[in-house]
Amino acid sequence: MSTTGSRDAMLGALGAVLLLGAWESVARSGIVSPAVFPAPSAAVLGTLARMPLDDIAGHVAISLGRIVCGFMLGAMLGITIAIAAGWYRILGNLVRPVIEMLRPIPPLAWIPMAIVWFGLGEPSKIFVIFLGAFFPILTNAYRGIAGIDPVLIRAAQTMDVRGLRLLTKIVLPAAMPDIATGLRVGWGLSFGVLVAAELIAAESGMGFMIMNARQFGEVGVIIFGILLIGACNLVTDWGLAMLIRRWLGKWHSI
Amino acid sequence: MSALRDRPALQGAMFIVALFALWELASALGWLRVFQFPPPSRIAEALWELAVSGFPEGVRIWTHAAVTIARILQGFLLAMITAIPIGLVIGRAPLLDAATLPIITFARSVATLSLLPLAIVWFGIGELSKVMLIAYGCFWVMLTNTIAAVKYVDPVLIRAARTMDVDGARLFTQVILPAAAPRLLAGARVALGVGFMVIVGAEMIGTIRGLGALIMEARNFYRTDISIVGMVALGLLGIGLTAGLAWLERVLLPWNTGLASVRR
Repeated sequence: MSTTGSRDAMLGALGAVLLLGAWESVARSGIVSPAVFPAPSAAVLGTLARMPLDDIAGHVAISLGRIVCGFMLGAMLGITIAIAAGWYRILGNLVRPVIEMLRPIPPLAWIPMAIVWFGLGEPSKIFVIFLGAFFPILTNAYRGIAGIDPVLIRAAQTMDVRGLRLLTKIVLPAAMPDIATGLRVGWGLSFGVLVAAELIAAESGMGFMIMNARQFGEVGVIIFGILLIGACNLVTDWGLAMLIRRWLGKWHSI
Repeated sequence: MSALRDRPALQGAMFIVALFALWELASALGWLRVFQFPPPSRIAEALWELAVSGFPEGVRIWTHAAVTIARILQGFLLAMITAIPIGLVIGRAPLLDAATLPIITFARSVATLSLLPLAIVWFGIGELSKVMLIAYGCFWVMLTNTIAAVKYVDPVLIRAARTMDVDGARLFTQVILPAAAPRLLAGARVALGVGFMVIVGAEMIGTIRGLGALIMEARNFYRTDISIVGMVALGLLGIGLTAGLAWLERVLLPWNTGLASVRR
């Protein structure tokens, strides 16, 4: 098994190297102007030469900070509402239609209202990222809580586990896989809306970095930024997956 | 009272009506600023205006919706006709699958909207860059789903077909494609959802037509009532597109009763 695993890893590396090599050689052959289609080496080295590393790290930190803020808000509110709506039936009946009404509206479509409500500063960007995370987390968590096996609840009740203890010891652990799915999807969507959120009169962040580079026609910086956003997404998503696996391992074997 | 207690749908409807009434009342009494929270009556007027005279003048809401739908469908179809054949090939070739996996994983992590500035440089601010962005978002989702669909075709089916001397192109069209079809369609649905998310961002630049452009343009003129009509239209469009694809699924795959087994 491990031999096929390492073989696959080798093949994967080979594929990536081939693709980068093809890109590099096409760009260097001069068929397309390097101002429009720079080689990957030129994009990375050019950006590093033009922008101090501290500036780049600053953009990354600011973007990640916005995403974490929006995502945390979305996760806290989404999970809280899901628990409340799943726990109290009447509340669920009232809240569900409202959510179903708002959910189909794409997060980016809220941008104009976000500006009107929160102005051009940080809160409006965080609000849009929040919306990206909130709906998938809420709907997945609700599905987990509403779909819990009634036998589990009845078994707990026969052992006199009720109220808050029933919620924290039985219902939440049972709903955890669905909550985890929602968190992963929500994290991905937070990244998806980041650039658009940073279009709102931002002066910092990775989205600003690439939109700003466009105004100066620095395609190399744009490409570097795109790859940087992709890499951040990949690494943080992997980290979140590891965290969830560790945390879920207590109850579920994945 | 007990009748109400047993009817959750009625409770929900009454709650929404109550919220709308409260909203209307709050803005009539001046608790909410009309510009920030245009009351339902204002939104209804804005809808009428959009349907009759249009915003910007002459571009009616049907035109905005049609432009948005056309862009989504063009990008979506472009992604389908490229991703499905490539995915079928990769899915049947384990070596190729291993070699492309890191590239595909990374390309999927690239936020589609982060390509917006690059798309503008390469394709201009016209229609092409919007269609290409949607196509990019849909492509990778569809590609991974196609590869998975082919990979997880029950090998017994393929071996059974081989014993009956079905091979090559016939194996593809008669066995693999039908067996992979439910997962392909599930992938198409996710891809359409991605395209729908991307379009709003793509339409914020370089156009005044399309629902995404409408909501931004309306805000520039302090017409938040029109922005909200546009948001609602986008929501309804999303529901409509999903329903359309579900209908297509039933027509194309009448034997496929439940997608529960492939939907994730």
